[in-house]
Order: sequence, then C-alpha cells, then structure tokens
Amino acid sequence: MLILAIDSSTPVAGIALMDDEQLIREEFVNYKKNHSETLMPMVDRVLRDCERNLAEVDALAVTIGPGSFTGLRIGLAAVKGLSLAANIPVVAISTLQVLAHNIAGSDTLVCPALNARKQEVYTAMYDNSSSFPRTVVEEMACSPKVLAYRALQTAQNMGFKRITLLGDGYAPYREVYKEHLGDYLIEAPLHLRLPRASALASLAVASTALQDFADIMNLRPHYVRLSEAETRLGRGEL
Amino acid sequence: MQDVYILGVETSCDETAAAIVRNGREVLSNVVNSQVAIHKQFGGVVPEVASRKHIENIALVADHAFQQAGLHFAQVDAVAVTNMPGLIGALLVGLSFAKAFAYGLNLPLITVNHLHGHIYANFLEHAEIRFPAICLVVSGGHTSLLFMKSADEYDLIGSTRDDAAGEAFDKIARFLGLGFPGGPAIELAARRGKEGLYHLPRVFLNRDDYEFSFSGLKTATMNLWKKLERRPERNADDLAREFQTALVEVLVEKTIRAAIEYGVETVLLAGGVAANQALREKMGEQANKLHLQLYYPSLPLCTDNAAMIAGKAYYNYLKADFAPLNTNAHPSLFSL
Repeated sequence: MLILAIDSSTPVAGIALMDDEQLIREEFVNYKKNHSETLMPMVDRVLRDCERNLAEVDALAVTIGPGSFTGLRIGLAAVKGLSLAANIPVVAISTLQVLAHNIAGSDTLVCPALNARKQEVYTAMYDNSSSFPRTVVEEMACSPKVLAYRALQTAQNMGFKRITLLGDGYAPYREVYKEHLGDYLIEAPLHLRLPRASALASLAVASTALQDFADIMNLRPHYVRLSEAETRLGRGEL
Repeated sequence: MQDVYILGVETSCDETAAAIVRNGREVLSNVVNSQVAIHKQFGGVVPEVASRKHIENIALVADHAFQQAGLHFAQVDAVAVTNMPGLIGALLVGLSFAKAFAYGLNLPLITVNHLHGHIYANFLEHAEIRFPAICLVVSGGHTSLLFMKSADEYDLIGSTRDDAAGEAFDKIARFLGLGFPGGPAIELAARRGKEGLYHLPRVFLNRDDYEFSFSGLKTATMNLWKKLERRPERNADDLAREFQTALVEVLVEKTIRAAIEYGVETVLLAGGVAANQALREKMGEQANKLHLQLYYPSLPLCTDNAAMIAGKAYYNYLKADFAPLNTNAHPSLFSL
C-alpha cells in the first residue's frame, strides 16, 4: 500500500511517501513560503526518486486545517486535481492532529499551537499516551493565555503531569506559556515542532486501512475561523 | 491534423469555471458556477469568500465540464488555466488544481492571461474575423485599446489612467444603492431613467490619444448626486442613465477614432463590460456609419468563463508553449 502525503497548511511544505509500514522518502521545506511554485515539483521529485508513478499510489493524504487559508487551499486543490485525474482516494487529517502525532506515545497532554495571527493560535488538545493522538479538546482559535488555562485545567482533570507544546504558535508566545504552565510545560524538540508529512502519512495508514476516505467533490478546508467579511456580516456591520 | 481537445479552468474572480473546447473553436462544454448571490450580501466580491467557494467547487465544476462534453479525462490533450491577472487567492485555487490534474493525466499545462481569454472569446464564435482590427477590452479591472495584427499579435495603444470602466460601474452602483454587480444594475437603472436631465463630463474625449480616465467621471457623478440632495426631483435612475451615456460615449468615440487612424475594417469588444447593451448599440451605430465590421461575444462568453481560456490555449498548444510545474499565479499584469 502506497500513500502520498501532501502538506502545505503552514509555512512548511512537506511531501512524504509511505510504502506499507516503511517511510521511503520525505521532503520538508521551511524556507520562503511559495507553496504554489514548489509543491507539485516536490510531488514529482519524491515519486521519481522512488521510481514510482502516481498510478501506483493507493491513497493521497492531506492536512485539512487549520492553518494558513491560502496554504490549505493550495494543498487541497492539488490533492483534488491528483485524485480526480488518477482516481485515487483521499484521506483528510487535521493539521493539529498531525502535529500531535509527531510526538505520539509521549504520555503527555499535547497542545499543538499554530499561528492564527491577531494574537491568537489555533489549538486542540490530545491525549498522547498511546500510538495515536486521541482528541480531548476540539479545535479552536484562542489567545495563548486561554490555551494555557484550558491546557492546565484539562491536564489536571485527566491526571497528566506534563503538557507538551509545539507548532509555530509556540515560540512567539513562549513566555506566556511558561508563566501559566510552569513545571507542567515541555517543549517539543526543534526537529519535531512543525508539521511533518511523514506524520500525516503515518496517520493516513490507519485511515486507509479503514477505508475512511473523504468525498473530494465536497471537501473543503477546516478553517476554524470565518472570513473577516463573514464575521462582520454576522455582527451586522455590513 | 488530429482534433485537439483542451480543458480550460478559470477562477480569477468570483466564478468557478471549466470548459472543453475543440480546436480552439468549438465549445463542447462551458460550466460556470457563479458566486454572485453570495457576494451580493457583502456588496462586492470578497476575495477570501471567493477563494473558499472556489476550493469547494473546483473538482465538481471540472468533472461537470467533462460530463457536459461527453468526454473522458483521457480524451483531452492539454489543461489550460488562468494564471493572471485576478485575485491572487482565487487564481491559486484554479492553478494548483489544474497543475495537479494535468500532472495526474500526464498532460501539458498551459497558462493563459485572463484578458487574452476575453479577447479570444470573439474568435470562438466568429471564424470570419479579418485583421488588422481594433479591440476595446473593458472589464472590472481593465480598459484598454489594442491594435491587433492577428489573433495573438497586437500592440497596446491606450488604456485607463485610473479606474477601469467596470470598476466605475461597480462603485457608482454601490454609491447610488442600485445593487451588485454594478454593470447590470446601472444598465437596468439607466433603462428606467430619462436621457439628458443631467450632464456629466466626457473625460479625456478632447485629448488626442487613446488614454481613458474614469475616476473623474465617478467623482463628478458622486458630487452631482450630493449637490442635488435637497431637490425633490433627484432620481438615481436618471443619473445612472447620464453616467452610462457619458462613459459609453468616451469608449465608443475613442475606439472609432482608433479604427480610423489605424485604417482597420474590424472592431472587437471584449471583457465583462462588453455585455453592456448601450455600449453594443452605440458602438454598432458608429461602426455602421463607417462600414466597420463590429464583433462582440454572446453574453455567456462576455462574462468570465473557461471556454475563452481553453480557446486561447489552442494557440499555445500549436506552438508547444507549455508551462512548467513550478509556474505561479500573478495578481497583476506584466503587460497586456
């Protein structure tokens, strides 16, 4: 079973190729955000280097959000194009869950935080004591302070002694987290702090086995947030 | 030569569109998913909302284009997509999808300038067009005059210094509370309004060149409306009528002048504003007087669509002018 994982949900662009239980190739770029230029050449390179072609791929995996609105759409548009053209099923997985999966089995409460601008982060909370992250708090956009507060409360309720933070919404607010979480806080190591297409592929193995596929005709990113205009319309400002 | 089938994809503004065209002439399908009803509630096109609708619908719309044409994916020879100009987030959805779709079918990718597509819409319906020709490109983002030596060879002879004609329509429609989109709203109001009650300037008409300016007309329209505030006879329809007349008069006059100076027999209209009935009629009257042949696309091909993109791409296909996988989208135009 061959899985091609595609992630462009954050400033990172990542592609991974998983053959059964073997990761055979991964590309990770966190340099200049120009996913619209780099993503498809990366896909092509990964397949070529491994002497595979798209027709051999059994499932495509994509990070469905949250993340950068444009980044999510570039990744999903590419996946829809590949899926439709080559008739390959698609697995859609939360960007936050992919981040949490970077440190699966760490026996902590994991809070991935992605930069959501406007002094907020996208986050969710996962029980990471087994092989796959288990969601305990659903995705939301909130201030780093609220994240810290909710994380501490959740950890205490669930009996976790440690809370691991990661994602590009960690470093900018490090001091806030430290102040509120104290000894509970663990920083994820630098090489695991950003989304990895290999982690996406790893999660997709389980979904593919269960035939848990998304309908690409209606699939859309999970933005978590409304667009600015929709928010203003909702408030009656437009 | 064998028949060439091209899939076109267009997402530069608020229409998600896909179409299949045979040999750059024959439109086999033309699917347009319009977001007008959605953007209406915001009073204009909201880029983020447009991008969200594009990503939701893109695969459906492309698939539908094949169904409507009665073709399998493997039967097309190339995938064409608009890569400029337009809303960048919106363009990126179409471009990313088209790249991947072409890659998945092992087909060449062709990128098309949206405005070239609009011009090309004329050739989809009229095989007999003779060159040289003068082409007036009028849309929400552009107002330009071109001297065309052939279907894909031309010089830019003039363009707007500020607002595009379509932009002026939108802004005035919004200002007068006539609704969105502005073009059809002004046209409808103008039809109800009385001619000649107000007078607005014909900007740049006395200049001996092919430049346009619509920002001044827009301001004059707004100022006149405010000045008339206490007059009980103030009527938005009447003002819309004069606004449209003033704008159309400048477009027609400059186009005809260019046709005479360049000694052409053919005049073309292209772009969303070419759907305006008053522009079509006035241009037709003047062209007739001078025995000029006037062409404009039918209404479905005047507004944004992907058939024009697939049609234009046929020329690129013949020249093997293909885009690499790392090709990007651009919000503005390098040159027309």
